[in-house]
Amino acid sequence: MHKIKLRINGHELEHEVDARLLLVHYIREKARLTGTHVGCDTGNCGACTVIFNGKAVKSCMTLAAQADGAEIMTIEGLGNNGLHPIQKAFMEKFAIQCGYCTPGMIMSAYGLLAANPSPNEAEIREALEGNLCMCTGYQQIIEAVARAAEVMKDTGKK
Amino acid sequence: MLKLDEILVTRNWVGKPVQRQEDLRLVKGEASYVDDLDMDCHHAAILRSPHAHARIKKIDCSRALALKGVIAVLTGQEVAAQTKPISARAITRPATQYVMAVDKVRYVGEPVAIVAAEDRYLAEDALELIEVDYEALPPVVRLEDALKPDAPLVFEEAGSNVLMHDLMEHGNFEEACREADLFLKETFKVHRYSSTPLEPWAIIADYQKSNDAFLVWANDQQHGRSITNVCNTLGIPIHKLRLMVPDSGGGFGIKLALWPYIVILSLLAKKANKPVKWIQTRTEHLMAGSHAPDANVEIELALKKDGRILAVKIKDIQNDGSFVHTAGIYGLIKFATMVGCYNIKATKAELLSVVTNKGPTVQNRGVGKPTMIFVLERMVDLAAKKLGLEPNEIRFKNFVTPEQMPHTTPSGEIYESGNYPECLKKALELVGYEELKRRREAERKIGKYLGIGISAGVEPGTSNLGYYYTSRGTPEYTGNAEGAIVSVDYDGNVNVLLGSVDTGQGHATTVAQVIADMLANTPDNVSMNSHVDSLISPFLGHSGAYSNKFNDVDLGAVIMATKKIRDKMLRLAAHMLELDVSQLKFKDGKICSARDETKAVSFKEIASLAYKKILFLPEGEEPGLKEIAYYRNPIAKLPNRKDFNIQLTHSNSVHIAVVEVDVQSGMIEFLKYGIVHDCGRQINPGIVEGMAIGSTVHGVGASLLEDFVYDEDGQLLATTFMDYMKPLAMGVPKFELAHMESPCPYTLLGTKAVGEGGSLPSLAAIANAVEDALAPFGVKVTSLPITPEKVVRAIQETKKI
Repeated sequence: MHKIKLRINGHELEHEVDARLLLVHYIREKARLTGTHVGCDTGNCGACTVIFNGKAVKSCMTLAAQADGAEIMTIEGLGNNGLHPIQKAFMEKFAIQCGYCTPGMIMSAYGLLAANPSPNEAEIREALEGNLCMCTGYQQIIEAVARAAEVMKDTGKK
Repeated sequence: MLKLDEILVTRNWVGKPVQRQEDLRLVKGEASYVDDLDMDCHHAAILRSPHAHARIKKIDCSRALALKGVIAVLTGQEVAAQTKPISARAITRPATQYVMAVDKVRYVGEPVAIVAAEDRYLAEDALELIEVDYEALPPVVRLEDALKPDAPLVFEEAGSNVLMHDLMEHGNFEEACREADLFLKETFKVHRYSSTPLEPWAIIADYQKSNDAFLVWANDQQHGRSITNVCNTLGIPIHKLRLMVPDSGGGFGIKLALWPYIVILSLLAKKANKPVKWIQTRTEHLMAGSHAPDANVEIELALKKDGRILAVKIKDIQNDGSFVHTAGIYGLIKFATMVGCYNIKATKAELLSVVTNKGPTVQNRGVGKPTMIFVLERMVDLAAKKLGLEPNEIRFKNFVTPEQMPHTTPSGEIYESGNYPECLKKALELVGYEELKRRREAERKIGKYLGIGISAGVEPGTSNLGYYYTSRGTPEYTGNAEGAIVSVDYDGNVNVLLGSVDTGQGHATTVAQVIADMLANTPDNVSMNSHVDSLISPFLGHSGAYSNKFNDVDLGAVIMATKKIRDKMLRLAAHMLELDVSQLKFKDGKICSARDETKAVSFKEIASLAYKKILFLPEGEEPGLKEIAYYRNPIAKLPNRKDFNIQLTHSNSVHIAVVEVDVQSGMIEFLKYGIVHDCGRQINPGIVEGMAIGSTVHGVGASLLEDFVYDEDGQLLATTFMDYMKPLAMGVPKFELAHMESPCPYTLLGTKAVGEGGSLPSLAAIANAVEDALAPFGVKVTSLPITPEKVVRAIQETKKI
């Protein structure tokens, strides 16, 4: 068992965890934040993407024990003060169908826009390479991320 | 049938890209998929067969049960003792299969035992401790092997691996062949693939001892039929099962096959005496979560020299794997698209459903129709080449014309509306066909291989259920219908319950748009919870999300229930305003006098009368404002081998794919992809666009990437998304889309199907483009997927992909 202390969405958490517990299961079952999803178990689908010390990371490829001292943001944290421009753009552009990939997509987009505030289409497609969407065919998601980048640039929001 | 003007009193919302009501919860991470439900549960893990074909001689669970934290183990023997076998639908030979393997296993991944433990990690540990003594049997994997006279039998009692063998002829086939100048024949191989919803199957089952009943939460796609199947299999009355479907992370047909697991989980919950949760892993999903079957299809066209197609003949051999419930369906449904968009007078079909030691199959997006359109549209291109015609030219010669609508195909399918020639014309303009042809020639000169692929497809919707019994006799299900409950609450807001589920289609938004225009209101005054609860939802024996029936019968039920509400509200308003119903109209969320709009009553006031001021109600009027309606498609015919319509609406589209093939590496890159699409009247173009593109990307994956490869021992080699490759944002084209709207005369709003959409014509569009690119090498595409390896091999050696 490992004792871990971390911050998720600004809240401090402390737990004893099994060495083999995956971060995604910690987030979903111990922190009860179920917006982070599991879609594949092998790091391919990105439904479990969270922001881990500022970077988009797949929480199914990370052990909870590795998150000791980490600052994590999940989809629930992004929406804390009203909707983030990325969330708004996803709604506006019909970038959502079943919604299962959506939180992971949004977190990856957040990671992209933090590093590159004005990505072109090819850069958006490349940044979302680690996120699978089975419903939309990606086009409206890509439009949404481009739209969010525009809005964020105009409003200076991060 | 009601006319559009009688249904919609305003035109403010239908046809507009109204933002989806579903999305706020989804972007905030507040959805409730089954795994999100906060319940005190045990957790289940399933022991699956490592063999494709083997006898189970002994199972010893004692070590697993001794592990601390393990609550219960259930084996196939115990399950079989408490259940009936899985019911078959289309096959004609006997084949006994239980929801869990009993005496033998028939595919890698078949459930052999299930464990309930305090957490999932422990349950997985316990699987390692179950000892199963297998006696391996020779597996039968490939179709060719399954058909050999001395092939091992997957089901001994059937006496053959062919569980359905049917032959049907429609129109005057002999005469058509006599008139023909030439015949063209080819065999195509289509592989196994799946639309793999991102949320795998998920079930929580609870057994309530006091009333001997089951409570189940599952992301089931067709709860109406699942309830029947689960109750029949368990031998319990329907009221002993309450099935709830919360949010569902995609379906695409794949979630039609999870009901056998509801049976298993229900029995496990009963044994464990506590709710048990099972969340399928992706590997389980890929092994045993059902596929579209692989198939060999032989197709022959009878043609006139000028390019007219007189008849089509197919011999369709499906590798249906090992799920008797679905076996046979993929053959029969081909009649819905047997002649594609063309006016072909006669057809002949020989259909074989073959069982093998591959995984189970289910109705994956399009169900056999993608294969049918693929072989037909490939053949049309091959015929054009043979006759020296352009691919567009041969299609223009054969299209059913708008003047011929409604057009009945030889087997009885009714194409109700559409302008197929105009659709192709628009598509050619959309992509700039003539310019592309010039570019193709110019690039070839510099060693670059660009190809243009055209494919035209009908996209049938609303299943006329029971077609799959055509081979057996009287169907248990016929026609198609759905139910809805519409109420106006005390506060005047509209509340809807639908018999169907939502797996991402935005049903609540669409319903709100329609009701808003029926009541001169706004969509934000209409709310629909898309979750299903069998205790309260108005479901039928086949309710669910499948075959693109939503736009037809689901909306039909909503419209008819809303109409009942509207009529009652008018009667109450007339009473309140002391006017006649004929003097009233709906306006801005009120009912008012048509002459003097100041004389008005709000929905809230009307609802208040209906629910609270019972003594003020008009004589004989029932209290309350809640109505239920079931709506059936009006043109479904009883299946009859000579004349049947398998599906009841027919959208159409033309896809034009433009690819460049790197002849060194075999890599295929999209340069352009144009879609012109006609799904009748669109309710929400934002949603329609997503469906049209998303379904096409399923075709992109199926044509180029995805393949459930089995080795000769029946081991599946693609068990994660590393080996089973899905399309990524990087590899898919940017789609150019144009729409046409030919309203359907047989649906209330003139709508038609859009969900399966692009998954049908895309396979051939891409294959035709690749073949066109490789024309200088004389390569012929006769199989899918078109992998880089196959491309390189074809160029170097065989000339065939």
